[in-house]
Amino acid sequence: MATNRNPGPVGGGALSSEFAGDPEMTDLVKMFVDEMPQRVDAMLDCWEKGQLGDLRRLAHQLKGASGGYGFPTVGQLAAQLETGLAAAGRAPDPQALDRLRAQVDELVGMCRRVTAEPPSGA
Amino acid sequence: MSNNENNPQVLLVDDSIDVHRLLTARLRHEQIRLVGLTRGAEALEQVRKDPPSVILLDLDMPDMDGFEVLRALKDDQSTNNIPVIVLSGLHGSEDKVTAFDLGATDYVTKPFDLAELRARLRAALRLDRLLKLLAERADVDGLTGLGNRAHFNKRWAEKVAECRRYGHALSLAIIDIDFFKKVNDTFGHPAGDEVIQGVARLLQTTCRSPDVPCRFGGEEFALIMPNTGPRDAEMVVERLREAMMQIEWPRHPDHKVTLSVGLVGSDSSCGDVTGEQWLEMADQNLYSAKHGGRNRVVASDIQRACALNRAA
Repeated sequence: MATNRNPGPVGGGALSSEFAGDPEMTDLVKMFVDEMPQRVDAMLDCWEKGQLGDLRRLAHQLKGASGGYGFPTVGQLAAQLETGLAAAGRAPDPQALDRLRAQVDELVGMCRRVTAEPPSGA
Repeated sequence: MSNNENNPQVLLVDDSIDVHRLLTARLRHEQIRLVGLTRGAEALEQVRKDPPSVILLDLDMPDMDGFEVLRALKDDQSTNNIPVIVLSGLHGSEDKVTAFDLGATDYVTKPFDLAELRARLRAALRLDRLLKLLAERADVDGLTGLGNRAHFNKRWAEKVAECRRYGHALSLAIIDIDFFKKVNDTFGHPAGDEVIQGVARLLQTTCRSPDVPCRFGGEEFALIMPNTGPRDAEMVVERLREAMMQIEWPRHPDHKVTLSVGLVGSDSSCGDVTGEQWLEMADQNLYSAKHGGRNRVVASDIQRACALNRAA
């Protein structure tokens, strides 16, 4: 289940939190963003080792938390991956694996865009 | 730390640390004490040790999922009234129906709207307060404000168990108003009610703080005296009996009302004597007090009374 660990520059610009201007959330958003590389690594590890159950749990947690930190698009992609993994079952066929790989890449790409900085021009 | 009505404990059970951080920050202005756990089994242990006012429960957790936690909470009489708000990323109506059927109070889907969650949490806290108030009221006698028979049964079972286990002294008095029917028939039911309320007031002022006075039913009262052997208990109820004779009743100032008391007690562990046997012995002593001319206390040691009863 190879995927690109260092895909280089991701498509799209930096993704700011919807709560970037909320003083109550500044530290929390920063912590969430700072920990994103570990989350991405954990998801990629699961994918590479074929641990789809663990990957589904990580996607599920990301789905639940991202919206609360002001990153609903990350949450939506995590939800799609969770649904895809649930539908594919324990031994997905090659076509399903391709679809899942694309979903993992899309989610990882979105996760790499998150920033604790406010949107430029804000 | 016990649950405090002004700062009720809310238990968050969710395997995501991100959710814990988020809710800790977002609920910090609420008048609550938020306690967080990440595992279902730990949560059940904590709830039994220190019951929270509300539980926020995730469904999708490793090891023991939220449905199992909910089932265990609702199967346990000591925890089944705690309002549970399910916080879940599971959006299917089947999951919602299952959660409600298992006893969930509310269901909030992730990602949640914080303002809505706060409002739902406040509603669950209100529900918790009302349930506690209802439980309290169910144990209170409406006429006197004393504990009722249900309250007596609970407290009495606790005290007998303590007496057996730890060898604590214990006494029980059954107190009956003499010729109460005559008060009712002669001066009317309001006069009878006043006498009952007067005895209740007297019990409250004469008793010491650990004592548990209850209205047992009709014109009968029970007084549980923890850590008190029969001799000291006899002094307490004698004081009560004498004080009763001093009361002047506004509706019948020339008619004094007296009390008969059946008392049993133990200076140490009551051994295998059951709570029911204590009551029977106290009743027998009350019967003796009535037949001995009323307005008196008949007291005995529970072990001796039981031995005599067996021999008879």
